[in-house]
Amino acid sequence: MSATPHIARRDPSQIMRLKRLGSLHQSRLSFMRILTRRMAQEGWQFSRPVFDIDDAGVGRAVYTAHGPTHSYSLIAFAHDLPDDQRSDRVIAQAWDATFTLFDGIPDVADLDRLAQNVPLQEAGRISERELTLARANRSVRLWAHVVEALAKGQQPDPVQIDKVGYLMRTTAVYGSGKFGAADREVIADRPAMHVPFQVEMLTVYLIRHFVRELIEHMAHVKGGATAIRLDPVIARRLGIGNSTGLGMAPYIINHPVLFNNWIMVREEAIARVRSIKTATQQDIATFFDILGRSNASVANWHSQHPIQIDKLAHLRNDLAALESRLATQDLSDPYPWDSLLGWADEALSEEGQELLASLILEPYGHLVDGLAACMADDNTDAFRIDGAMPIRDVRKLIETSFGWALKIDWDAKKNCARAWYVSQEKLEPRMGERFDEPIADYEQPLAPARDATAAYTVLAKWDNDTQVAEFLLRHPEHRHAVRRAQLSRIAPYGEICDNTIGDDVLPIDMLRAKLSFFGATHFDPRSDRWVRICMYAGAPYPDDLSQANCDLWVYPERAQ
Amino acid sequence: MILSLNEVETTAKKAARGARYPWGLAEEAGKATRWLCSHDVDGCAALAGLLDQIDRATLAEWAPDPRHDPWAADGGTHCPLVTGAAISDRAHMLHSQSIRIGKIAEPAMLVPFAASAARQINATVTITWPDTVVCTDGDNLAIDGICPAQVTQIDIRAGGTITDQNRRQSRATPTADTWQILCRFAHRTYAPATEESRQKGAGAGVSDND
Repeated sequence: MSATPHIARRDPSQIMRLKRLGSLHQSRLSFMRILTRRMAQEGWQFSRPVFDIDDAGVGRAVYTAHGPTHSYSLIAFAHDLPDDQRSDRVIAQAWDATFTLFDGIPDVADLDRLAQNVPLQEAGRISERELTLARANRSVRLWAHVVEALAKGQQPDPVQIDKVGYLMRTTAVYGSGKFGAADREVIADRPAMHVPFQVEMLTVYLIRHFVRELIEHMAHVKGGATAIRLDPVIARRLGIGNSTGLGMAPYIINHPVLFNNWIMVREEAIARVRSIKTATQQDIATFFDILGRSNASVANWHSQHPIQIDKLAHLRNDLAALESRLATQDLSDPYPWDSLLGWADEALSEEGQELLASLILEPYGHLVDGLAACMADDNTDAFRIDGAMPIRDVRKLIETSFGWALKIDWDAKKNCARAWYVSQEKLEPRMGERFDEPIADYEQPLAPARDATAAYTVLAKWDNDTQVAEFLLRHPEHRHAVRRAQLSRIAPYGEICDNTIGDDVLPIDMLRAKLSFFGATHFDPRSDRWVRICMYAGAPYPDDLSQANCDLWVYPERAQ
Repeated sequence: MILSLNEVETTAKKAARGARYPWGLAEEAGKATRWLCSHDVDGCAALAGLLDQIDRATLAEWAPDPRHDPWAADGGTHCPLVTGAAISDRAHMLHSQSIRIGKIAEPAMLVPFAASAARQINATVTITWPDTVVCTDGDNLAIDGICPAQVTQIDIRAGGTITDQNRRQSRATPTADTWQILCRFAHRTYAPATEESRQKGAGAGVSDND
């Protein structure tokens, strides 16, 4: 018997284009699914030690998740927010609900301390005992409808439920030491929290449970004995919305090694599955089942934004083409997944290609899921510059990562039309028009391609054998670019292969790339730099979480 | 003030940028300040002291010339960030020789870079300035002495033994005054708001209250 040939990972120059990154889909390696799988496998228990909410919907509640070594408590503060103060923007100052994830089980003194701070969000302070800080606003449309219906003893209209998809949307979930919270190092050694964003995903998972119980409480206040609880089937379809602005986009540029690890792990998973010579009948059946359920999810994906409307049209065409292809291609033939993805490269849009790439991973948890352990960035030494590297090698690294960028005229207005900056009010990351607004002096280093080109041009004037340490002493302004060039040795997928300051850049592509790894679905851009998504739609609530339902919940059951 | 180390790093990086360091060195400033705080040294005070001395200076005048012994800066005083980066970038030199550096501002800021060099050469590194001996293997740190605003000379060599090492800290506790200095420098990196940026910059677009 010959060994299974290993099919190579796809090339960074193919994957790291913004259009493709803006077409990524959730997969087995999404942070939400990694969390729910682990919690089910480890038999996490959940409790609600506090639910002290008054008739106006104001008060506090605590939801605790008990893992094998640590407990984590969502502390929720519910507020009575006047309608005119509700905004998803970072510049908002009040919210319908505010949250923190406490490391352990809080006592009354903790709750009182946090009651003074969490509702203030950025204007308050939390401590090393807290892991996240978050807030959410109601979906005004759906909230009123559901309270009204339940209070009258009726279930809400499924059409309205599906149209919105969530009762509240989070507008920020901060972790990693922000506003005084514990640094990532505090939790990174815990197996359950080593995968990135697990505390944030746990926060949102528990928020969803709280929101369901809050709306049932409000319906009961309104309807008294007439009120009923939300049908569990409808409740399950509800996720938590998330409204994400431009602020998230710089993250994937500012964390090249971390982002590389996410992409590389997914590419490795895809390569492993493509390398499978023979798919069993069970594998094939699983694939078709998931494909059908994924189609149902896509059918329920709505957007009013022209860009996404167009992408969805392509995706639906892609799915039709895939159906035709699968009618003729026998997946029992050798290397079925490689063959299918090879066909998709030619026949489908990026949306379809990336959806299919995620779907073929589904039958192969044993090949894929363990890769989650490689998604964190534990390599703190990577930041250090190797000063002994000859300039020749630095130039080669830049050529490899940014060969495409070296040909661009970076002085042409259209190629540097935009600049990223942070605003004085609310410290909000923004993107502006370099030539129309007074922002160039405040530009953030979010144009790695331009900066690499600038470094490359100056490096060309130096002797190839000189150590880069000499160059950097004379040209500290290129230190940032040289560091990134050297990082590419361990992070081949760390750089976006597109212009991030051109007049046609779409920040929503960057947002989607990151959010897809969270496991988000139903991306709904509200502008070129703002997107709404849904999280945990279909997921079992804590009391129902089991090994049977902990993973594939992201795909709706077709019977629904 | 009780701060997370992430807050320290982020603000230190912005503050250095606000004092006109290029981004690559501002990043080093953020990491170095964090490293000091996590080793129970008031890195925030050291950086604040440095930025007050060097604010908007021409960096080349504060940069070392490694061809001299001791290293000398054209302007007379070394910047510990530029100099520290130069040491980290030349860590291999310490295999064969010690490095002597002339007058330098905030020598404590140099220590994290010496720690970086120690990790690269896989050896302990000892840094001495008047009345002070500092020893680090990259992970652990021992300081016997003081951290003044300037010293006339520093020696760095491979070797030494770490005794009585500093306690590790997961929080930073700068004084309010120190933190305010860093925040003041950091604030310079924020663009004044214009109506246009308020409306379009973050791109909320259509209604967000529905």
